[in-house]
Amino acid sequence: MASRRMVHDVAIVAMGCTPFRDHWHSSADDLLVDAVQECVGSLPAVALDDIDAFWVGTQGSGMSGQTLARPLRLVGKPVTRVENYCATGSESLRNAAFAVASGAYDMVMATGVEKLKDSSYSGLAAVYPPADGTDVDWTAPAGFSLLAPAYQQAYGVGAQDMRSTLTKVAMKNHANGALNERAQFRKAVSAETVENSPRIAGQLGVMDCSGVSDGAAAAILVRAEDAYRYTDKPVFLRGMGFVAGSGAGLAVDGYDFTSFPEVVEAARQAYDQAGVTDPATEISLAEVHDCFTPTEVVLMEDLGFSERGKAWRDILDGRYDLGGALPVNTDGGLKSFGHPIGATGLRMMFECFTQLRGEAGIRQVPDARLALAQNLGGQPGSCVAFVAVLGSQR
Amino acid sequence: MHQQPGVDAYAVHLPAYALHDNRLDAIGPPRPGGPVRSVAAFDEDTITMAVEALRPVAAVDDPARRQVLLATTSAPYEAKTSAGVVHEALGLDPAVSAVDLRGHRCGASALDLVVGSAAMTAMADLRTTRPGAPDELAQGDAAAAFVGGGTRAATLLARAGHTTEILERWRLPGERHDRVWDERFTADVLVTAGLDVARRALADASLEAADHVVVSSSNARAAAALRRALRGSGADATIERATGFTGAAHPGLLFAAALDEAQPGQTILLLSATEGADAFVWRVGTGVRAARGGPSVREQLAARQTVGYGRYLRWRGLLDVQGPARPASPAPASPPMFRRSGWKYRLEGSHCDACGKVTTPPARVCASCGIAATGQPTAKVSLRDKTARVVSTTRDHLTTMPEPEVVIVVADVDGGGRLSTYATDVAPGDVTVGMPMRPTFRRLWTTDSIHNYFWKLRPLLPQALSGEGDR
Repeated sequence: MASRRMVHDVAIVAMGCTPFRDHWHSSADDLLVDAVQECVGSLPAVALDDIDAFWVGTQGSGMSGQTLARPLRLVGKPVTRVENYCATGSESLRNAAFAVASGAYDMVMATGVEKLKDSSYSGLAAVYPPADGTDVDWTAPAGFSLLAPAYQQAYGVGAQDMRSTLTKVAMKNHANGALNERAQFRKAVSAETVENSPRIAGQLGVMDCSGVSDGAAAAILVRAEDAYRYTDKPVFLRGMGFVAGSGAGLAVDGYDFTSFPEVVEAARQAYDQAGVTDPATEISLAEVHDCFTPTEVVLMEDLGFSERGKAWRDILDGRYDLGGALPVNTDGGLKSFGHPIGATGLRMMFECFTQLRGEAGIRQVPDARLALAQNLGGQPGSCVAFVAVLGSQR
Repeated sequence: MHQQPGVDAYAVHLPAYALHDNRLDAIGPPRPGGPVRSVAAFDEDTITMAVEALRPVAAVDDPARRQVLLATTSAPYEAKTSAGVVHEALGLDPAVSAVDLRGHRCGASALDLVVGSAAMTAMADLRTTRPGAPDELAQGDAAAAFVGGGTRAATLLARAGHTTEILERWRLPGERHDRVWDERFTADVLVTAGLDVARRALADASLEAADHVVVSSSNARAAAALRRALRGSGADATIERATGFTGAAHPGLLFAAALDEAQPGQTILLLSATEGADAFVWRVGTGVRAARGGPSVREQLAARQTVGYGRYLRWRGLLDVQGPARPASPAPASPPMFRRSGWKYRLEGSHCDACGKVTTPPARVCASCGIAATGQPTAKVSLRDKTARVVSTTRDHLTTMPEPEVVIVVADVDGGGRLSTYATDVAPGDVTVGMPMRPTFRRLWTTDSIHNYFWKLRPLLPQALSGEGDR
């Protein structure tokens, strides 16, 4: 399959990220302005007008490139709006990266935003095209909760072990988020809190679900060879894979809900480009799409961090804790940092960027050199998946 | 085509639920031996019950010659033809016309029309009263199906009708419940009409009396008087006490129950006393056992689960409860429903000529091998009468349906194909990975006054058959 490194290597030279919150007093416009100002403001020699082209990712908080052009009052600039479910923020960065890699532009910006809390619904509400009415009206937790019974069945994991594993994922990510001033939830949680939370779908309670929040994030990208003109600590995009699933997992028999085949393929592409042959030992830290607790369990296997059927054991053993061999979701993840759809992919990049520059403070992973960002949208059996490998070295 | 009038095939659909108690503040068990009403689940209506009743018998004989008649007093749509949805779900030939019959007498009228032609009918009704009405437990939900154009089940020996204009049970458009006139007056009129038609029909059939007497009446007092006068065994009254009066379906339900038990060659007097009276005298056919589709009335009664009064009231929308903070499920749109009618109404997937896999919903390109069907339209395969086995399952606690939780399953169909859909007629905790299930036509939800019909999965056997019975 032709998925190669780009003609020009790409580097991220600046990023911004709002706190993810209930931003009752800010609009999507305000959040974008905040994220962009922080991003541009971190490069003393760069002004907004120096950026040649822009991408903005949002699922439902705006239409067209004007979602970004209007609040920033950009004049004469190309702005592209992208959407790819919960991988929207990653898609924004991916397309911006291609633009500098092609040589068409020297400096571009990727942004992502979502305003979820204005709807009065506590989950996600999306508008779909007119249809025949035969689709299950899934909530997102219902779709992802299918992973747990299938995983238990496939690997003979008992109900108590599965519950403990899901609880551990939630506790770990909340513990990490508690150390992060930008996270939505800044409190460690107990097993009792997780397990006694109101049921939402299947085995999942409220505390097995990611935080619904408002937020925005932004990144400035340039060709790698130009990076040191702007910062002495650029972060390099070493590999990147993206797959939009065919939906076969829900359309034909066979798929067993113990994996995201789209993630496996996107990871293969990213590792290949980055020269990663043993992700379990080579990756310093990973930001993964923990939309619901069982998602993170399955992802540890799809990304090659744990053997098939063993992730639950590794999670319970603390392998993915902040002080573990391969810290996962050091910033709190979707679970406690929050999940404003269009911003999430860039928020993951923001944590990788921060860690690779050694600026993560008490969350800092020692000697972080290679970070992974994995982002997905849709549901098990029919999803879109993004994986990137970022490095402190080119 | 000239044939003896008769019934070639029949079937009944009784919902999986029964209501024994309608006390709001019940302390202690309900009155023993009291009336029980048949309760359609929240996802059933006249159309879905008609489809379930007709499914096992609709394929009998050549469908191109038939009409499908839907007899009901509770059509889900006021202006739209409900029989059209039934027609589509059964996959009938477009040449078969779809006709709605309305009014309390229409069940008997439908039977009358079917026996003399190659038509088929579903008599289906869903009946509610105001909570606490005196006859709340005496009304019920059911559907019965009959196919004419043959005499395997029964030959019609004679019939007689009597039209009486009488204000007995009525309801204005938009109203939810029937109003009822003093039953002592209307019983008097209906008994007179009923005895008249029974005598005339028996005389035409040259019979003193029939082996089985079946009386259906919208007026319980009239039904009791007619059963006494015609010396019935009371078997019909026993069924009625377990279901309630099921409206337009009732003569069909009681007739079907009699056919279940009667011996070939015996005679049955079926009397419907509603807005006048209709009498039918039948001779039971030699093929009566083979003429029944699906389980008997007695088997279906035994398989029911008890539903509590609060749950019943929620299902019927008679108790307005707070749902989750979630937008209403989306209304389907007319053009996609029309384009995808094979999938939506008949549960057809596409069969790949290249790799043999079944793709659901049907698509031009196979979801397994990625090869596009060329030339001919994609081959279709119907999944609706096949068994599907659960691959994974979840319980949605934020459902917009009138239940605290509903079960969603992904299931693989024996022979190929995958369904992601809701489970129904089963307690949420009882659905397990690997469980075999069977498609059933249901109403998913109603948004913007559009009823959204599709297929759910229910356990292969009603739960009560494998576990507890009526509680």
